[in-house]
Parts: sequence; C-alpha cells; structure tokens
Amino acid sequence: MNSVDRAGPASAKNASGDALRVDGIAKRFGGLRVFDPISFELAEDEILGVIGPNGAGKTTLINVMCGMIEPSAGRVHLGQRNITGLPFHSVSQLGVVRSFQQTNTFSKVSVEENLFRAKRFCSKRSGPDLGLDDLLHDFELAGHLDEPSDKLPYGLQKMLGLIMVLATRPRFILMDEPAAGLERRERIRVDRFIEHARKVLRCGILIVEHDMDLVKRLCPTIVVLESGRLLAKGPPAEVLARPDVINAYLGDSAD
Amino acid sequence: METIVSTGVIGISIGAQYALISIGFTLIFGIMGVVNFAHGAFYIIGGYFAYTLTSLLGAPFIFAVVLATFLTALVGYFVEIIVVEKYVSDHMATMLLTLGVYQIMVTGATLAYGAEPVDFRFPISGALRWHGYFVPYSTLVVLVVCAVAIVSIYYLVFMTRYGIALRAMADDGAVARAQGIPAARMFPMAFAIATGLAGLTGAIVTPILVLEPQGGEAILGKAFIVVILGGLGSVTGATASAFIVGLIEAYSSVYLGGSKGALALFVLVVLILLVRPQGLIGSSARKA
Amino acid sequence: MVSDRRRDFKLDLWGIVLLVPLLISPFVTKDVLISSLTYQISIGVAATMGIYVMLRMGLLSFSVPSFMTIGGYAAAISATAGWTDIFFLTAISFVAPALVAAPLGAIVLRLKGIYFIFITFIFNEILQILLFETPDLTGGANGIPGVPPATLFGHELAAQPQLVAVTAALAIVAALITFVVTHRFRAEFTSIEENETLAESLGVALWKYRTIGFIASAGVSGLAGFALVNMLSTAHPSLFASWSVNSYIAYAFVGGRGTLLGVAVGSALLIAVTNYFSAFANLSAGLFGVLLIVVMMLAPSGIVGSFVKLADYIRSRSVTRSAPSIKEKQNEFG
Repeated sequence: MNSVDRAGPASAKNASGDALRVDGIAKRFGGLRVFDPISFELAEDEILGVIGPNGAGKTTLINVMCGMIEPSAGRVHLGQRNITGLPFHSVSQLGVVRSFQQTNTFSKVSVEENLFRAKRFCSKRSGPDLGLDDLLHDFELAGHLDEPSDKLPYGLQKMLGLIMVLATRPRFILMDEPAAGLERRERIRVDRFIEHARKVLRCGILIVEHDMDLVKRLCPTIVVLESGRLLAKGPPAEVLARPDVINAYLGDSAD
Repeated sequence: METIVSTGVIGISIGAQYALISIGFTLIFGIMGVVNFAHGAFYIIGGYFAYTLTSLLGAPFIFAVVLATFLTALVGYFVEIIVVEKYVSDHMATMLLTLGVYQIMVTGATLAYGAEPVDFRFPISGALRWHGYFVPYSTLVVLVVCAVAIVSIYYLVFMTRYGIALRAMADDGAVARAQGIPAARMFPMAFAIATGLAGLTGAIVTPILVLEPQGGEAILGKAFIVVILGGLGSVTGATASAFIVGLIEAYSSVYLGGSKGALALFVLVVLILLVRPQGLIGSSARKA
Repeated sequence: MVSDRRRDFKLDLWGIVLLVPLLISPFVTKDVLISSLTYQISIGVAATMGIYVMLRMGLLSFSVPSFMTIGGYAAAISATAGWTDIFFLTAISFVAPALVAAPLGAIVLRLKGIYFIFITFIFNEILQILLFETPDLTGGANGIPGVPPATLFGHELAAQPQLVAVTAALAIVAALITFVVTHRFRAEFTSIEENETLAESLGVALWKYRTIGFIASAGVSGLAGFALVNMLSTAHPSLFASWSVNSYIAYAFVGGRGTLLGVAVGSALLIAVTNYFSAFANLSAGLFGVLLIVVMMLAPSGIVGSFVKLADYIRSRSVTRSAPSIKEKQNEFG
C-alpha cells in the first residue's frame, strides 16, 4: 500500500485555496541562533515531512508556526492572513493545531472527558461527523473511555492526543514526532490517523519525524533542516540520497 | 537640600532592611520553588527572641541579636524539614502550608507575649545632627548591620561552593542532582539561612518601630512588591529593587505625607507591570 | 479527587441545598446562638465562594477581602444616601467590584499565577489605605455607622430574623451565581487548572476565562461584603482586614476545594468550631493554621473530597470482588 501515491499533487489547493506559508522566519534566543530565514509552504490536503538531526530546530519551527513563540524575523501566513504574533489559542482557533512529542492529555480525567473538551473548545467550526468513533475503535481506545488518561499505555495516550487534535476540526495539523515512543507495530496507526484526517477534513499535514520509514511511506515531499538551515526539499527518495543530507546525519542514528 | 539627603539615608536604610527580607524570600523561591507565606512571622519572632533575651534575660543587645538570628534560623530549619520538604516545587501547596505555619507562629507569639506591642527599645537613641542634616543613630546602625549581612549573603551565594551549588539547584534542579549535589540536605539549610535573615532584620528593626504579633503582615506585602519589581528568584534584582522601594517610601512619606507613599508605590508597580511584565530587572517574560 | 463532571454537578447541587436551612432557620427559631451561627456561616459561605471560583482554575486569590470592601462600601454608601431597595443593593454590591475586577484582571491575569497572587495580596493593603485617605466618601477610620437596613418593596427588613434571612439569601445568591459560572465554564476552568498548554493548543483563550472567573469572584465577594455590612449595619475598615482571607481559604480547603458542597461543609464546620471554642477566639487563627497543614499533608481533597475518594475506593473494591476477572474466565475455558 503506497500512501505516497494517495497524497496527491504537492501544491494542490482545494476550493478555499488557503495554504499555510512560512516566509523567511528565523528564531534566535539571545545569542543562540536556532534557525535562519526559512520559507516553505504547506497546502491544504498536502503532507510535508520535516526531518533533520537533533537540535536542528524542528520543534522550535512548530512552536513558531503554531504561535507558541514569536519568530525573531519573518512571517507566518494562513492564506492571505498574516498570523505571525497571534496568541497560541487564536492560531488554534483559526485551524492550525499542533500535536505534542510527549504524551499530552488531561491526565487525571477520563478519555471520554478529554474528547468532550477537545470537541467543545474549537466548536466554532461545525461540519459533518468526524468519524472519531472509528479511530477510537481502531486504536483500541474504545474500551477505555472511562479510564483516566494517565493510566493508559504510552502509545494509547499519544493516539488519544492525535484524536483530540482531530476533534478540533483543524485545517492544518502540525505533528511533532508522532511516532516517538510508539512501538514499531503501533506506528502504522499514525498512517491510519493521517489517512482518516485527510479523508474527512482534507487537512494539510506537517510531520516532524525521525522515523525514516514513516517519512518515506507518507510524505511525497520532505524538507531537511540542519543546523538551522533548510538544506534540501523534494521527494524523499531523491533528498535522502543526497550526499550533503547523508553527511548531516552521520553519527545520528535515524531510527 | 539637607532633608533630601537625610531622607535619602533613611531610604537606603529601609531599603537595606527590605533587601535582607526579600533576598531570603526570593532565595527560597528560586532554589526550592517555595512561596514562604510565613516569612513575616520569622521577622517578628526574630524580634521576640531578641526582646526575650534583652528585656527578660538581661543579655546585651548585640549578643541578643546574633542569638535571635540563629534561633530563628533553627525554627526555619525545623519548619522546612517537618512541613515544607515534601512539597518543594509545588507552589500552591507550599503557599497554603506556610500560610498555616504563619498563623500558628503568630498565634503562638500572641499567646506568649500578648496581642499588644511590647516594650522593646533600641539601645542607642538620639540622632546625628549636623548643619540641618538629621539621621537617627538607630537608622545608621541598621544600615550598617544590614549592609554587612547583604555582603555576607552575596559572598555566600556567589563565592562559596555551597552558594554555587544553591544557584545550580535554582537554575536546573535535575541537572544539579545528577551532578551529585545533595538537594535534600541543602534545602533545610537554605531555608534556615533565608528565615535567619528575616529574623535578623526583625531583631534590629522592631525595637525601632514596633514589636507586635501583627507586625509580620506588612512585611510580606513589602517582600512581594520588591520581588515583583526585581524578578522573582533573582537575588540581585531583589537587592536593587529593595533599595528603590525603600527610597520611594522614605521620600513619599516625607514629601507626600501619610500613607500616600504606599499608594504611590502600588500605582508605580502596576504601571511598571503594564509596561514591563518581567519587572524592572527580571528577564523571563511572564506570559499568562 | 478525580474530576468527574456528572458527579461534581450533583455534589454542587447538594452544596446549594445545604444552604437552604440557613434561609429557613431565622423563621423557625429565635435562639440567639443559632441566629449568630446562621449569619456567620452565610457570610463565610458567600466570601468563600469568591475563593472557590478562582480555585477552579488553580489560582489562589487573596482579593476576596478587597472586593468585599468595595461591595460592602458601595452598599453602605447607597443605603445611607437613601437607595435601600434590596434588589438595587444586591446589584450594586455585585457590579461595583466586578467593574474594578475587569481592568485589574486585564493587567494582573496576564502574569504568572504567582504574581497574580502577590498583587491580589497587596491590593487589599492599598484598599485599606484608600479607605483611610478618603474620609468624605468612606468615613475614613470611623467607617460608616448606622447603615439603614435593606428594604423589600418599601418594607424595612430591620428585625433580627429579617436581617439574618437577607444574609442567608445573599449567600444562596452567591452560591447560585458561582454554580452557574463554574458549570457553564467547567471544561475551560478545569483544563486551565490541569494543563494550560494543552488547553491553549485546543483553542482555549486562557486570559478570557481567567477574567470571567475573576469578575465572578469579585462579584460574589461583593455580595459577601454587602451581607456583612447589612447584618452589622456598619461599614468599617476592620471588617475587611487582610487576614480574614485566611479563614475563607481554610473553609475552602478543609471542606474540600473541588465542590460547592466542600465550601458549605468547610464554612459550617469551622465556624461552628470557632463558636464552640469562643473562649479561645484568639486561638482560632492558630487552629485554622493547624487544620490547613493537616489537611494539605494528609487529606488534600478536604473532607468532602476524602469522602468521595473513599466511596470510589469502596465501589471499586466491591466491583473487583464480584465480577470475575478476565484471567478467571480464561482459566475456565482453558
């Protein structure tokens, strides 16, 4: 099953035509330069992978794109709208929602309560049924609805986090290492999630990942971030064969 | 002109007192994540210990002050071990626990000494008068003592191995522990030092002002103002803003009269927070 | 105590139901002690509601006495000026502090929780100073004596049972407002308390809900202030001293900070205890201190929360004992 084929043309835009675009964004913390001006675009219904050695600035990139921190330079656009500097919650309300690398749920309350809240908080947008029950079933969460979420195994907590993101009806999902901490056999669930999200909402998806198999499976286009620079962009087969990309990873185990 | 200078000296003296109190408060927060709502109580029991030693046991004042400081630190040590230790880093829990400790200590003081102020006097009276300048001797003594204490604390925190370890704990507790710094042994000592400072301030200042069980309430409020301005957790920030607050207080009580000084200070703090939420000196932004 | 919205809803309702006897008691008995307990508990409950609302978001607000001051003085000044209608007084004692809370919250709620707490603490000192510095408006150090009682459709509610009933009614109004606000925004408030970052990532505007809670807290505290002023027919700075907040905090935490029932139980219990040991009135602060420490260290969910935990534990034990485990079933069928 080649998910890459199903991804569609890389820069296709759907009827609303809005893309999530970063335009020359850079970030420094005091004297520490995290990344230099970077530009790229994520269209609706597109999947873009972001890879790179540790410390390359990938998580900071997501933090900037979703509004958790402000860029030191450059702008983030959602369609025509400049969303740079908007508070984190506003960016989520506009439909750009992130997931977290570590498990992040409302730990003391039940799975059902977690989902209830996620649906409620971004209820501005309504629409057809999201089919969350199917996902709950596929990810073996359906039998645990009344359990406190911190009692679930790590993998299930992560999948719950992803379903909560979907419950907010995002237009773009920024996934921060969705496979991190998942066992090998659980990682296919990420594929399933992305397939489902694109089917019901035609989300644009950005995946920061270390699991190269997953990246090759799911992303028709990837960008490589190394020492804060955008090193390469293109289809995985091509990019991963480049000598400068291979060099960037020497000494870094790519799973 | 003379009034300005005299008031300035008084302001610096007040600032030194606030610095001692606030450094202790901010140290405990920075290192242990403990919000010590009982800090004002340690201030007054320092005073009560000194009072007991001088007025009831006839000890010389200096000796009484030194011993009162140690006794207060001892109380602080045990409070930390018994009550606070397990809740380090939990702001809300330590707030409530120290609030409880505060009430117990104040009630204890009321039971032992009565609710009315006691007759505790500063041994040196009179003032330095020279060409229109007027500075009470007691103010000068307090200024000198506090300055010495501040310098000692700076030496301890910035120069000694112990102090460096404390600051490592404040910066990154997990890493510090991983390096072998024994957090559990250091916290009670740190708490003792901080409360000892409050006790020292109480021992020398309450004979000038007043010694009564409610005397600690206002202290906490001052500490809050100082650390808000200086940035919570910063020793240098607390020191600098303590002197600023002391000077503002002295000048506004002389030139504005009455309690308008406190009002002016509050308005100032709110304005500063509007413009610079990280305080005058603090560096970490405080986004809600 | 694990948060469970259906169970908490029921417990909150029970908390309000428990307040109804306060309203009835002045009409069935003239006993002086009961009358005194009733109005003390009513005022305590109303004030503790102010603490409770902010606790739902994980914030400890020391501003309750400040807003009691504003509400109490607003009512006193209005009544003395001739506007004694009880509905008007109730409204103004709610609205006046709410109007102050809005801009204050805008400044202060953007700061980290701990700075919020510090500022609310200092705010009360400032208000006390303001009271003394504005004698023309507030009577300064003398306060406002001889405040006329509230009137209902023109009838003065001046008799002792009526005064007590008004106080109890205000407590119930405060509880109802708290109930509505904390349930309407329950998901947002508890999410902010449990995991701010996650709440924000799902679209919750922290600042907006904190402000709503702060305004509600201010309003119900104002009602408590009005209740106090009406009961004593006086407004005086000493009624709103900073340290009074320690009692309200104790009521909330000892009773159980998770539900309105906890507030009701904590207030009733601790006020009854202080009255019982009235000979040792000056020790009550120390006693509350001890209780606070004991509760925080041994039973952080308070009385009501601990009972709920116990009930959960008993229920889970009986379920595991009666239902065969999966393993047992597997063994049965090989």
